[in-house]
Parts: sequence; C-alpha cells; structure tokens
Amino acid sequence: MRRLFYLVREAWVNMRTNRTTTIVAILTTAFALACVGIFLLLYMNLRNAAGSLQEDVKVMVYLEDRRSSEQVRELERTLKTDRMVDGVLFISKEQALGEFRVQFPSESHLLEGLGENPLPASFVVTLAPSFRSPDAMKAWVERVQTMEGVAKVDYNQEWSSLLAGLIGYIELAAIGVGILLSAAAVTIIGNTTRLALLARQEEIEILRSIGATRTFIRIPYFLEGAVLGACGSALSLGILKFAVELFRQQIQLTGRFGGIEGLISFFPLSVCLALVMAGMGLGFAGSVVSLLRVGDGRA
Amino acid sequence: MDAIIQLIHVSKWHDRRAALSDVTFEIEKGEFVLLMGASGAGKSTLLRMLIAEEQPDEGQIFVHGKNVTKLRPSEIPYLRRKVGAVFQDFRLLPKKSVFDNVALPLIVQGASEKDIRRKVTEALRAVDVDHKNDQLPSSLSTGEQQRVCIARSIVNGPVVLLADEPTGNLDPERTREIIELFKLINARGTTVVVATHDPHVLKYVNRRVITLVHGVLLAEHRVGEGVGG
Repeated sequence: MRRLFYLVREAWVNMRTNRTTTIVAILTTAFALACVGIFLLLYMNLRNAAGSLQEDVKVMVYLEDRRSSEQVRELERTLKTDRMVDGVLFISKEQALGEFRVQFPSESHLLEGLGENPLPASFVVTLAPSFRSPDAMKAWVERVQTMEGVAKVDYNQEWSSLLAGLIGYIELAAIGVGILLSAAAVTIIGNTTRLALLARQEEIEILRSIGATRTFIRIPYFLEGAVLGACGSALSLGILKFAVELFRQQIQLTGRFGGIEGLISFFPLSVCLALVMAGMGLGFAGSVVSLLRVGDGRA
Repeated sequence: MDAIIQLIHVSKWHDRRAALSDVTFEIEKGEFVLLMGASGAGKSTLLRMLIAEEQPDEGQIFVHGKNVTKLRPSEIPYLRRKVGAVFQDFRLLPKKSVFDNVALPLIVQGASEKDIRRKVTEALRAVDVDHKNDQLPSSLSTGEQQRVCIARSIVNGPVVLLADEPTGNLDPERTREIIELFKLINARGTTVVVATHDPHVLKYVNRRVITLVHGVLLAEHRVGEGVGG
C-alpha cells in the first residue's frame, strides 16, 4: 500500500516539479487531439446524416403493363421474402395517376389526351438498413431488374454513391490525421517524460543503488505519461464541445441552414470515455518510448 | 569461515588505463575491512563492481554466493538489497524527510507500513538521529547527514555494508564517531568494507587493511588500535 502511495505521489511530484513542461505538454496534446477530434466529429455527423437520409431511400420497382393480379401478388411475395427488403408498398396504376395529379396539378392535363392511363403500377421498396450501401443496393437492383414482370428499377444511385464516397474520404482523412497527430502527442509526452527523467537522474541513481527494480523506477513516469495523455484528451473534448455549441449557436443566430443545428451532435459519453482512455494510452506509449530510448543504463 | 566477498583475478580498464589489475582477495563473513589507497587507486571502482554498477573486464566476483559478473540485469536490484552502500556525498533525497529517506529501501521492497515504521525508527536510533526524523537533509549537519545515509544502508538488514570514503567530508571527531558506528554495525554481524584514503581512520580501527596502489593489490595487514578506538 505504501509502495503504491509512493509511486502515485512520485508521479504527482514529477508533474508539479516540472509544472510548466506539464502544462505545455497537456495543452499541445489537447491541441493535437482536438484536431483529430474535428475529423472524428465530422465523420460521425456525416455518417449519422447519411444514415438518417438513407432511411428515406426508396427503390421504385415499376411493373410491366398487362400483368395479372396473380402475377403482381407473386412478385410482391418474392420481394417481401427477400432478406434485403424491409418493406414493400404496392402502388397501382390508378394510385400513381392520383398522386401525379396531386403533385403536379398544372401538368395533369398532359395525360388526359392519352386515353389510357400511361403510368405503370409499382412497388416502393425499402431496403433493410444493413443493405443500404451503394454496392448492396446496386447488386439488389440488378437482380430485381431481371425478374419477370419488372419493367424498370429506379433509385438515386449517384446521390448515394457521392455520399458514401465523401464519408470514405473523411474516414481516410480522419485515420491519416489521427495517426499523424497521435504520433505527435506520443512524441510530446515522450519528451516531457525524458525531461523529467533527466531532471531526476540523481534520484534515479539513488533508487538504483538501494535495489529498486527497473519497473519500480519507471512506474511513476508511466503514470505521469498516462495522466498527461488523459488530461490532454479530456481538454481536447472540452474544446470541441465548446466549439460545437458555439457553431450551433451561430447557425441559430444567423437563421440560415434552418434545422441543421439539430442534426449536429457531439460524441456520446461512451465515446468521450473511450477517447480519454485512448489519450491515456497515447501518453503511456509516449513514456514507454521515452524510457526505452533513455535505455538500461539510466533507468 | 565462509567468504562473503571473493575477487578472483579481477581487472578493469578505464580509457586504456588499468583501474584494477589482477586483484584477488576474499573477505570473510562478519569481517571489518579497510580498503586503503590514494585517489584513483581503484577503491571506488572495486566497490561499484561489488554492487554490479560496473563489470570487470576480466576475472570473477562473488558476493554472498552470487557471481556478480554473471547476474542478469533483473537480478541486480536483489543483490543491492543485500548490500548496503554509504557514499561520501551521502546521496540523500533533498525533498524527502529523514524518515522518508531511510524508509526508501523498505518501500522499494514492498515492506508493510508497520515494518517500515519499526525498522526506520530502529535504524535512526542506532545512528542517533531519531530525534530528527521529520527534518529535511539540508537542515542537518554533514555528520548527521552521513548518519542518515548509514541508517538508510542498514535499515533492511544487509549482509554486507560498503562505505566509499564515508568520512571524506567530516572533521576528525565526526570521523571517529562514524567509524565507531561502523564497528557497532559490524559487531551485530554485518560485514563492513570501508574504502578510504584517510590514514587517520587507521587510528580508530584494529582490523584488516587491504591497500591498493594504481589498481594493484599492494599489501594486506592488520593495524593496531589507536587512541580513539
């Protein structure tokens, strides 16, 4: 117990003794992690937006004319039992005409001269959430297109692909920036640990001479690195939260992009905790790297 | 008797100069040995080798049955827990109290709170600085600081106590007191090796003397008890 208390106290003393270095390390780590956080937030919000928009994605399956009601029911059954399909809504030729007239009242006269209703019957298909990716949708559409009685299948492929592409790019950027700035955080904390080590070289020598193991000597520095990383990460989350709230407020004040502020969300608590843990891990890694560089002779 | 320290044809070079040259001797369990020699004779090198702070270039060193030259790095701390070390510059932690400084070897070993309190109090009482346990080293005299250093080196009951120029910073009276303290520790069964260049120390001891000159073991003899002994 006393040993644990000693190790924690040593870590605390290290940080207090090198107060300026500690504060600079926390601030620079927070800045680096906040940059990573911006990309993560962007990525998370775009994914959320894409998810909610994809819920509205409907695939229109237009039917050939002159199909018997039995054939239409058979096709409906086939679609409903498809594991990729979440919901199927049948729209008859008459319903389609009615909707056209409601949606385009000024153009409805165009259809009157044609005699027979030219609009086809259709199924409005909602795909299951796990099959709403552009590739899955494309594959499904190609399969349904070959079914008997199907005239045409329509969905907004371009929009879906574009969004998926954008999310992909942001994901890549988040990973790239994340790796780069995480390495920067590791280096910053590593240097802080090294400074602390050099400042306490004499004390380390004394500890070694009285039989302290390498682990015993190193633990306070590991703790210090982990605490610096966690503090930096927590501070970066604070900065990001403040920035998100400010952004929301600005949108509300300007009155533009009405309603979009409701769509912008911050990391949930579980993600915040995971990010603080990740910061702790980076700090720990920084200390490990630093202690390994300093080598056996010293600690 | 059993040899607790054994050097067999030990040589060490520092920058092509022989710090120790083919040194062979044994120290029995419970002995009090003075290691004499001028500055640069190789005394400190020899003591550092006994606690594996340096490795010989040739030869073998045995301490308490362990071949120090063959120890793995992870085994070295455990050797140092059995061998107490006292230094000329005391090597006390300036921001820790006397009590905390002396408690350090016990904390390192994971001793219980109760044991730490008891053993530190005993060690401080043995060196007669128990009344200063809350003070910082900087508020103590040099003689008292050396006593604290000795208390730290004996607090975990080492089998061997090595002292490198322990009286180098002390006046003759304090020197005599410190040597008396080592004799007391030796009387309790701890093997004591004191390295010194100070011939005045010889006045206070009637023990075995090993003399090194330029890294060569010159002579071994016993000296007569002096006035203060």
